[in-house]
Amino acid sequence: MGQATAAQVSEAVVSGSSVGKTFANGTVVALDDANFSIEKGSFISLVGPSGCGKSTLLRLIAGLIEPTSGALHLHGTRVDGPRQDVAMMFQRATLLEWRTAVENVLLPTEMRGKVTSADRDRAMELLKLVGLGDFAFSFPAQLSGGMQQRVALARLLQTGADVLLLDEPFGALDEFTRERLNIELLRIVGEIGATTIFVTHNISEAIFLADQVYVMTPRPGRIARVIDVPLARPRELSVQLSPEFNHLVEEARVTLGAL
Amino acid sequence: MAATAISRGMPRSGMSTGMRRILTHGGIFVALILAWEVGARTGFLDPLFFPKPSAILASFWRIYFVQGNIWYHLYVSLGLVFAGFAAGSILGIALGSLVGFNSLVRRFIKPYVIVLEATPRIAVAPLLIAALGFGAQSKIAIIMLVCFFAPFINTLSGVVNVNEEKLELFKSLGASKMQILRKLVLPEAVPVIMAGERLALTAALSGVLVAEFIQRDQGIGSLILVYTRNLNMASAFACIFTLTIVGFLIFKGMEILDRRIAFWNHEDGMARVGALRKGRWAKQAEA
Repeated sequence: MGQATAAQVSEAVVSGSSVGKTFANGTVVALDDANFSIEKGSFISLVGPSGCGKSTLLRLIAGLIEPTSGALHLHGTRVDGPRQDVAMMFQRATLLEWRTAVENVLLPTEMRGKVTSADRDRAMELLKLVGLGDFAFSFPAQLSGGMQQRVALARLLQTGADVLLLDEPFGALDEFTRERLNIELLRIVGEIGATTIFVTHNISEAIFLADQVYVMTPRPGRIARVIDVPLARPRELSVQLSPEFNHLVEEARVTLGAL
Repeated sequence: MAATAISRGMPRSGMSTGMRRILTHGGIFVALILAWEVGARTGFLDPLFFPKPSAILASFWRIYFVQGNIWYHLYVSLGLVFAGFAAGSILGIALGSLVGFNSLVRRFIKPYVIVLEATPRIAVAPLLIAALGFGAQSKIAIIMLVCFFAPFINTLSGVVNVNEEKLELFKSLGASKMQILRKLVLPEAVPVIMAGERLALTAALSGVLVAEFIQRDQGIGSLILVYTRNLNMASAFACIFTLTIVGFLIFKGMEILDRRIAFWNHEDGMARVGALRKGRWAKQAEA
């Protein structure tokens, strides 16, 4: 790897060069030759049908799995396992049922050492930020699905990571709740200036949220196209009615062969 | 109170459904006992095997308050039950987690678990007596043997079937093996372990009887044997019904314990612990 490449890598927060991942004795190519570079503070959506490698790419960045070929870099250093500057949120809230909401938010801190009173204050603040200040001592079973995902979001932010990976985080919720949470997500990540990578199979959602949409296609999983989304921020739901928005949806659909 | 009872109850009788249910069940119960009493008095039921309920009641009075001999045997038997239960479940939980955490051990132990599961554990009881001799030790060993399996299997499955998504979360947070064990695997296995403990306690109650049937020196089991051999069926029945009550109390006790330990599966438990943790949090904030 030459001097120029190293400099290039350090500019982007997250980057991948020729990243490939093959599962099951080399027969399933989940991700093939992915090249990308993500700027600090940007919001990236990964969209595509199941099997296109979007979740695989997310897990590779999280360091949960290792690439079969190529390399991933985060803040200029190679990803070789889970690390503190990146955190992940899943489709299901995966809260610990025996912990209250605020104790769930504190989990990432506990993994790293002793919990200080500053950590506890921050956990409370984050619960307020996601609108659950009054539910800090409720258990997950006492919360609705949407509220559980809010707790998971607060826990994600508690990690302090500046690269957030979200794997269809609101996919299991009803459409109204999902839209509301998406808007809140935009507000929150904008506030803290995080770099966000968001996986979804919903094209409109992908475009609504993102600065850049990575359209991915299956067999083998590939980043088929990167679509820039020049819509102004802050965005409101009504932007989805605009002709520019619909043009972007059309572009994505054409790439996916779904039109 | 009266107003709510009327509004919820059947308009015809003016009684609440709960009250009606109690009356219905109570009525059926009394009718059954009466039929038994009449049957035994008229000779329709062989009084040797079905003593009159009134005679059983009299025996109850006698063995509890006149002779008072049952207390000692009850004390002995319950002592054995809890000793055997404690030993069996500790061993079961410990071995279950050990096997569960170690995939290598798990692979090798599986056939033996299947063999052990297929063998009636009671069959080994005489061997235990031969090895440990007569006395409390071999009795406890028998109870331990019948108690061991449910906690072992439940702990094993609880530990092995850890939620994959939560595991991935912990890994993404960079959790150590020990943290995964302490903060995820064990707490998550608690409800299923508790279910195993319930089965074990029920098994322990049967186990103590088997142990005392074999070594009839003392305890409720041997008391039942003695009474039956003397054709004092009323007293034998009094002992059996005593066991019914003990079994019921033990079952209820386990239920209460389960609600306290696996509190997050119960609405009232969550409310209680939630308030408790809120108080603790406030105290920590002050300090």
